[in-house]
Amino acid sequence: MSNSKQDVENVSFMDQVKASFKNQSVLLVVTLVILAVVFQIASQGIFLTTNTLGTVLNDWGSYILLAVAQTFVVITGGIDLSVGATVSLSSVVAGWVLVKGLGLDSSITGDAAIPYVLLAVLVCLLVGLAVGALNAFLINILKIVPFIATLATMGAMTGLAIIISGGMPLQGPNNFKLGLPYNIFGVQLPISTTVLSVMIILVICGLFLHKSKFGLYTFALGSNPFATRAAGISPAKHLTKVYMLSGGLAGLAGAYAYIRLGAGSPTNGAGMELYAIAATVIGGASLMGGVGRIVGVALGTLVLFTVQSGLLMVKVVTVSPSLKQVIVAILIAAAVAVQTLQKPGRK
Amino acid sequence: MALKVIYEVKNVSKTYGAVVALDGASLKLHAGEVVGLVGDNGAGKSTLVKVLSGAHSPDSGQILLDGEERTWHNPKEALEAGIETLYQDSGLAPHLTVSQNVFLGREKFVKGIFGKLGFLARKQMEEEAQADLEAVGIAFPSSNRPVSQLSGGQRQAVAIGRAVSWARKVLILDEPTNHLGARQSGEVLEVIKRAKKKGLGVIFISHTLPHVLEVTDRIVVLRLGKIVRDSPTSEYTADTLIGTITGSYGSDE
Repeated sequence: MSNSKQDVENVSFMDQVKASFKNQSVLLVVTLVILAVVFQIASQGIFLTTNTLGTVLNDWGSYILLAVAQTFVVITGGIDLSVGATVSLSSVVAGWVLVKGLGLDSSITGDAAIPYVLLAVLVCLLVGLAVGALNAFLINILKIVPFIATLATMGAMTGLAIIISGGMPLQGPNNFKLGLPYNIFGVQLPISTTVLSVMIILVICGLFLHKSKFGLYTFALGSNPFATRAAGISPAKHLTKVYMLSGGLAGLAGAYAYIRLGAGSPTNGAGMELYAIAATVIGGASLMGGVGRIVGVALGTLVLFTVQSGLLMVKVVTVSPSLKQVIVAILIAAAVAVQTLQKPGRK
Repeated sequence: MALKVIYEVKNVSKTYGAVVALDGASLKLHAGEVVGLVGDNGAGKSTLVKVLSGAHSPDSGQILLDGEERTWHNPKEALEAGIETLYQDSGLAPHLTVSQNVFLGREKFVKGIFGKLGFLARKQMEEEAQADLEAVGIAFPSSNRPVSQLSGGQRQAVAIGRAVSWARKVLILDEPTNHLGARQSGEVLEVIKRAKKKGLGVIFISHTLPHVLEVTDRIVVLRLGKIVRDSPTSEYTADTLIGTITGSYGSDE
């Protein structure tokens, strides 16, 4: 009997813990603060600078679009492994259109390059949407599970990117200022045009995920596909939109990579899908579907790249760059463990 | 009963491969009438429900709503025509709130351009969901709570409340009292009686025969894809009903 009383007290204690960590976001902010302090000490005071923050945000920008794309897909209970390959392919196709198609090269810079950069963004977006449509076709029409369907697309798109580029980066017109941090009245900010654009896209996606019918159906589908279908919603139609959104965002991440490098390279997106999935899970989305928040994913991605940049600056001990993969793995495991603890009634 | 026939199927058949799931079944449902649909496992109840709710098209036969012949290509068309179905295995989306579940597929939007973009009027839906469930007479929890936090009985109450409040003509309830305790089942039966008073035609599918005998006006018995008896509830006793279902009691044939 005393046992059951203890259980009740345990539950109420867990509820208190849960109340203070109402969602993953609070936990992630705390993690970020701790990381910042640790790295500031370990780097002997060079971590917390505008420069470092700029680097972190620049890395963050290239992954956050993929993490957001992944969030929508993961909430439906699916997964999109093809986002990294889509980054490679879209940037390569954009480079091909500019270099081979229009006969331009990297001598075009500055304001003269802006129209071509915008064209590259458009091409990347279209390539991404096409890959998303292909994934939707494989999943909805051929009834292949998302993991296998997007794994196949990932392989095919990686190969295509190498074929189209000939295995070499295609250097085209670019305006590198787009990726450089703003300097307003002599004050250095950590944000560039590309990072700012990505932030705007992030906010818009967040609003659609949490406030619109599109987002609601995304959660509903991951929560209970049978109930969703019974409510008169077509799962195939909605999944098509979600995978095309994912592809489109991956295409924009390809454009981000193009602007960052001034080139479409077949290795631009290599391995990015794993970081995107990691960021999504660290941000509190459940791979079982039905759960996820954009704020959490934005913070989760920030945690990942704070760790990455921070490890490079540690001076008190020598840290092998390869260690970052181990640390990312630990972060994923910790995030999933926290999720499990947060669920009531599971032990 | 002088009430008009609201929903009717005539001579519908459905086969899945070599299996004849439904063999020339005909059924009439009047407004304000509760019809019990009973039969053993594999008798064709689920198939008939799927035909009635638009989830499956019959191979042959007619479907008439208000005397007009209709064809359902998907459940949405039947829903929009006023036929609401509560499937035994579909239930609710546990991660969504009560009001999100109540309004799923029929969301209300904010005014202006943001509404056109699909932004939802959350507060309005919460208030209306609360009012709708109250009107149906269901003991419900706060409508902005996720369904996963509710008990099994509360979830079923919300699911039924949702179906009753949306149904305009026909309400199909597939095993609504399954997994419920005695008191909660009693509440569900009260809700069915209230839906009947509202003038809805209700089809009640259940294995729990005392519930069927208590709440229905008429009982239709299916066996091996055929309707073997269709009589007012008063003409059955618990024993003759079981006998008709299993085939040990003389049927119309």
